[in-house]
Amino acid sequence: MTSFRKKVKVKASHLDSFGYWVKTGAPWVWINAAAVSASVMLVVGLLLLIAVRGMGHFWPSEVVELTYIEDNGQPHVISGKVRDSEEVEAQRLTESGLDVPDNVETFERILFKTANRDVTGQDFRWILSYRIQEQSTPPEMVVLERTEWGDFIGRVEAVEESGKTITTDDAWALFLERLDRADELREEIKELERGEIGAINYQLERLRLDRRELELDGVMDPTAYAGIERQEEELHARYRELEARLGDLYREIRRDAVRMRTSDGEEVQLQLANIVDGWRPNSMNLAQQLGHYVYKAWMFVSDDPREANTEGGIFPAIYGTILMVLLMSVVVAPFGVVAGVYLREYAKQGLLTRTIRIAVNNLAGVPSIVYGVFGLGFFVYTLGGSIDQLFFEAALPSPTFGTGGLFWASLTLALLTLPVVIVSTEEGLSRIPRSIREGSLALGATKWETLWRTIIPMASPGIMTGLILAVARAAGEVAPLMLVGVVKLAPSLPLDGNYPFLHPERKFMHLGFHIYDVGFQSPNVEAARPLVYATALLLVVVIVLLNMLAIHIRNGLREKYKGLES
Amino acid sequence: MNDSQATAAAPEAPAADEKIAVQVRNLDLYYDRTVQALYDINLDIPDRKVTAFIGPSGCGKSTLLRCFNRMNDLIDDCVIEGKIIIEGKNIQKKKIDVAELRRQVGMVFQKPNPFPKSIYENVAYGLRIQGINKRRVLEDTVEWALKGAALWDEVKDRLQEPAFGLSGGQQQRLVIARAIAVQPKVILLDEPCSALDPISTLKIEELIHELKEDYTIIIVTHNMQQAARVSDKTAFMYLGKMIEYGVTDQIFTNPQEKRTEDYITGRYG
Amino acid sequence: MADGGDKNMTDLNLGHHISRQFNEELEDVRNKVLQMGGIVEEQLEKAVGCLVRGDTELAREVVSSDYRVNMIEVDIDEECTRIVARRQPAASDLRLVMAVIKTITDLERIGDEAKRIARMAQDELAGTMTEDVRQEIEHMGELVREMLRTILDAFARIDVETAVQVVEADVKVDTKYVSITRQLVTYMAQDPKMIPEILNILWAARALERIGDRCENIAEYIFYLVKGRDLRHLSKEDELAEMSAAAKQGKESN
Repeated sequence: MTSFRKKVKVKASHLDSFGYWVKTGAPWVWINAAAVSASVMLVVGLLLLIAVRGMGHFWPSEVVELTYIEDNGQPHVISGKVRDSEEVEAQRLTESGLDVPDNVETFERILFKTANRDVTGQDFRWILSYRIQEQSTPPEMVVLERTEWGDFIGRVEAVEESGKTITTDDAWALFLERLDRADELREEIKELERGEIGAINYQLERLRLDRRELELDGVMDPTAYAGIERQEEELHARYRELEARLGDLYREIRRDAVRMRTSDGEEVQLQLANIVDGWRPNSMNLAQQLGHYVYKAWMFVSDDPREANTEGGIFPAIYGTILMVLLMSVVVAPFGVVAGVYLREYAKQGLLTRTIRIAVNNLAGVPSIVYGVFGLGFFVYTLGGSIDQLFFEAALPSPTFGTGGLFWASLTLALLTLPVVIVSTEEGLSRIPRSIREGSLALGATKWETLWRTIIPMASPGIMTGLILAVARAAGEVAPLMLVGVVKLAPSLPLDGNYPFLHPERKFMHLGFHIYDVGFQSPNVEAARPLVYATALLLVVVIVLLNMLAIHIRNGLREKYKGLES
Repeated sequence: MNDSQATAAAPEAPAADEKIAVQVRNLDLYYDRTVQALYDINLDIPDRKVTAFIGPSGCGKSTLLRCFNRMNDLIDDCVIEGKIIIEGKNIQKKKIDVAELRRQVGMVFQKPNPFPKSIYENVAYGLRIQGINKRRVLEDTVEWALKGAALWDEVKDRLQEPAFGLSGGQQQRLVIARAIAVQPKVILLDEPCSALDPISTLKIEELIHELKEDYTIIIVTHNMQQAARVSDKTAFMYLGKMIEYGVTDQIFTNPQEKRTEDYITGRYG
Repeated sequence: MADGGDKNMTDLNLGHHISRQFNEELEDVRNKVLQMGGIVEEQLEKAVGCLVRGDTELAREVVSSDYRVNMIEVDIDEECTRIVARRQPAASDLRLVMAVIKTITDLERIGDEAKRIARMAQDELAGTMTEDVRQEIEHMGELVREMLRTILDAFARIDVETAVQVVEADVKVDTKYVSITRQLVTYMAQDPKMIPEILNILWAARALERIGDRCENIAEYIFYLVKGRDLRHLSKEDELAEMSAAAKQGKESN
């Protein structure tokens, strides 16, 4: 009896020991949980950083007007937006030749967006907070968004019509009125240029190619040329007509101008034709600010880029990214599925099949730039060159398919993502129970009928999973695209209203490349930085949306074929 | 083989005028070309009767069953020698249309394996494969087959619902309906009740009893009582050999072979 | 039947089930049958003894011990029902259970016959019997007792060859019965006053003959158990021929 008691006691102390704690697996659970939370925190942190940095760009932040003691000791009135601030050690300032008050160790240095690049020659300047004398946020300060030279910050002096000042009590209201008119005219001009004139140019180009083709074919019959010439004549006539209208519109839009005064008293005359938008951030209430914010964000995703991509929107990049991914999916899905089905269902499972499978798996690990090189060398130069020789001889020496383009980019990415689709297809197929195949075969179905009517539909959720992974990877890939068709500014969209509507040979813009270009290749990196974040955020959003679409489709299929997992 | 000849001469030998549905002659089967799984099987399976194959696991009874609709074709390196004659044709011949054969010889598997489609589409599957797409014909056949499988009353109001919503027993009857929808001559049942509860099992057994009016039924079962209950003739197989084949009553009361006896009574031989 | 037919009379393999429980149950039933047979044999011995020697005390013992036989019969019956319900025996197991159920019915009847003989012995018949009749009866009793003993032995060993001996012995018992009947009829004709007593003796002889028949029934059950064929309702000659042929075959294959 006593010995039994003793045993119990030993056991109880054993329960408290560290060794026992390890044995229960609790540390393992903790390590797992820690790893998961670390990953979650990293992802959330990344998204938050991008979101905060990117989304702040569109907020109409207030314009500060301040009196600043310049290096020469003279006070100077400047205005602008506070972009950033940092602490600087006094020593560093003295070293750079500035005189600073003694017995202060650090100073606040502010990155101030003064805009008015055309007047002062710079967009941003660093100012030291201790030199600021007066500071105010005058409600009448205006921010103008212009088609060139970046923003303008100042006060509206007067509105001019055909060089004459219009006298009015409320110059701001008049300015807005005239800006609306200019906006409408600009819209009209854009439509005319992009739409009708663009179509005429496209047709003229085609006619030119037709003529060249006839010449290459050695056709001497003048009637053939006459037809083309007649058509060209017609188009030229239409063009002249439109040009005249365009000229009128340009005259109209150039009628109005606005006289602006900067904070340091300089007066500038700005054409309304060059002003995209204007607002007075200091006199906005919250609702107006929000409205402005949403409007600007919308312009960002729906407008074309301006000024070497540092201004305006990124619509062509979104468009190009999505179109390229969709085209890639259309190419990779049938190829991957067919290859997977063959490997799993038809190929004899021997050494050769195993080798191919290993090769396919390894293909997924090849660096993407290698695919880019392959795409350039094989698709663009070899295939594209041959296609040009055979079908687009008329356009030579300017290449049609013989240069990077949407189609080759999609093909290259399809090649890049093919292993993922093949592997997931095979996996999806292998998960179908044998009994289902046998059930179908036993009813007199051939192997093909069994596959087509039963197995592939049942494996479709697995195939979709592969496609989701493929889309996620393709949408984020930049390196190979730089070699096979992405450009920083594409003149026209690869899908438009001109027959045959989809132009797979055209170069296109891509969000990923856009980020790279704006962030590192633009002349005004400082101004473009928020855009980099905003574009990155958008890229993430686009990928998430594409994935959600695919996941939605997959879940629909899963629902349809559920019960399989029993 | 000595054994089977001896049993053929047993007092309860089948009546001579009995019609034969499936004739097996000198059947040998090898897996991987070298591993012999069936040894010299000789068998006459009567028309419109229930024949049961019993025997321990791995004795080759399922393998033999799968020979009758050439399911063994799915296995690589499976070599079959000898003859299987169904409807006067040796189905082992190369030029036999396997799909057509499988339409004549339906099969139901161990686990219910309905397709992930509606009840209606499951039954219509075999017909659609044959290219029958006329609505009227399909509807009539589906109803007829479901009635034949004693499932119509339970599912007639939810034909468009997914087949996975049915219970295990109902699924198995659905699979039987699917098999009889193409009007086969022979139905092969490969342990059809091993995944079912006793009541569902009894329903299937009752169904088998009704189906033998119109079809030749061959059933493989692990459950000897089931073989005793449903079959007219029973074949006992052991290690790939046909040990004894005879009328079920005789096999279960007075088997002629010691190995049959040992198996049926649960002894180690 | 070279390799498959080595299943013979004693080789029913009752003890080789994969389920040990089942083995034990079957063994238990068999043991109980033998135990019951033992009691019945004792009863028969005592009954014949008191008939021959007129021991009324012994006769009372026989009558009163009959309830033990009945009880053991019910017990075995129940056990057999249980085995059928729970084990669903097939083939030889099934035949064994069926044979046991039938055997115990016959054993119980043998017990009843012994009781009947004992009842008659209580009427002090011994005094009325002439010496030659007494000897005849005693001899017949010996024969029947031997039959019962042999058949129980055959049952214990599940041995068709031994069972054949019983069927053969029954022929002798039948002959004996005919001769005793003839003798008693003569006595009745000589002395009509003695008819009631002589009739009693006749009934006792008849009871012994019935016991012989029941032993033969049991022999048929054993044959069914071993060979799976029913020999009842065959003529005696056919039955004997079949049985000894089967016994001989079994012996040869040994």
